Amino acid sequence: MRHFTTAVLERHASLAGDFATEPYETPWASEALFFIRAEETAGENPLLRARVQISADGIHWVDEGTAFPPITTTGDYFVRISHFGGWLRLAGTIQGEEGRFDVTIHLVLKE
Amino acid sequence: MNAGLRPSHCVPNRFQPLPFILAYDDFSGGTGGWLELMPNFTKEGFKARESILDKTRWGPTMLSTASFGYMGTHGAMSGIYSLKLATRPVANRYEEMPAPGSMAHAIKRLSVFRPKGLVQFEMWYAYTPEQDRIGVGEKDIRAFGASFDVQDDSYRYFIGARFLNSVNGDLKRQWQILKADEGVTDQQWAYGRQGEWNKRGVDPMWYGRRYPDGRTDGYQFVSGGQQRLCYNESDDKINWIYLRLTVDTARREYVDLQSGAAVFDLRGISPTLVQPYARIEGLLNPVIWVETDTDRRVFLFVDSVVISCE
Repeated sequence: MRHFTTAVLERHASLAGDFATEPYETPWASEALFFIRAEETAGENPLLRARVQISADGIHWVDEGTAFPPITTTGDYFVRISHFGGWLRLAGTIQGEEGRFDVTIHLVLKE
Repeated sequence: MNAGLRPSHCVPNRFQPLPFILAYDDFSGGTGGWLELMPNFTKEGFKARESILDKTRWGPTMLSTASFGYMGTHGAMSGIYSLKLATRPVANRYEEMPAPGSMAHAIKRLSVFRPKGLVQFEMWYAYTPEQDRIGVGEKDIRAFGASFDVQDDSYRYFIGARFLNSVNGDLKRQWQILKADEGVTDQQWAYGRQGEWNKRGVDPMWYGRRYPDGRTDGYQFVSGGQQRLCYNESDDKINWIYLRLTVDTARREYVDLQSGAAVFDLRGISPTLVQPYARIEGLLNPVIWVETDTDRRVFLFVDSVVISCE
């Protein structure tokens, strides 16, 4: 059987300004999906940008190169990644005047 | 106990299990059912019941290699992987209610399969803060603990132990047990909020008023329970430590607590008994948790756990 885990990194969390998910250890997995469920939006022309980051120590982060397309409305979105080493997180920002997104974020790992 | 009664040959003898092994998890093949302790997402929009505390942001659990920036991979006591409980980098002062995300819990949802009697929790673990700043961060770990959430035919109760390590940066290093103060009302238990779901004695990890000397409404200090654990000399060196808690579900009493080589006799002490909750008869949930004392992630690494009973 293959090894599998779904980690819920945010639950109905209200995001504004810059954000990053909590560091998550992924050394056993070789493939991953990040899901963002945008549950509610607020503000004028709200825009959510999010990109995948990797790390050697869970403290210092660099962009992996994968990014979500800009998210402007509620809905479900995902990105695929592989060859990411021991840690993963999402970093991003909410733009738009008084912009806010309520989100649930899943990290789905498989080996 | 009589070694001849031990039926399992897969549990290493650094554990001292009772005859029936309910669970042995060394996290080499997955999380073994230990997951974050979360509220019930049963309300509109799959939200949790309204509460004075946001319990949806407790830190994540994960399989860890215990890797550090200048030390590399510690691995576990056995193999590479341990179960890591990680708080978020946020804390309130000790005497306030816990900040959302300032704790991380791992729970394994079990139920009884033997007559009432001795039940035991054992683990090998290590603790340290995230090495995000220089110095020695021992004082930044507020507490960690392990308990059972039990419901039998008459009562629900929480029975467990907490190592109170630090209070607002002041090292305490003292064991406590879960037992609510008499005379505390359900409303006081919930920081004054009327209509909070939980009763006095339930979920003492985050309920029960806290006091600057380290007391809370939900914990009692163990007599002679001060202990210096093997924290080590820097935040990226972790030592594996043994913990055992034995309780008696027939008498609804503590039996003893072993931390390293020290044993604390707890016989005759009862947990706080609460009227049963719906739909959880026979519940036997071991819970492990860790709490940060400041704006810094702290970690509890669990190499392995054994839950056993007679």
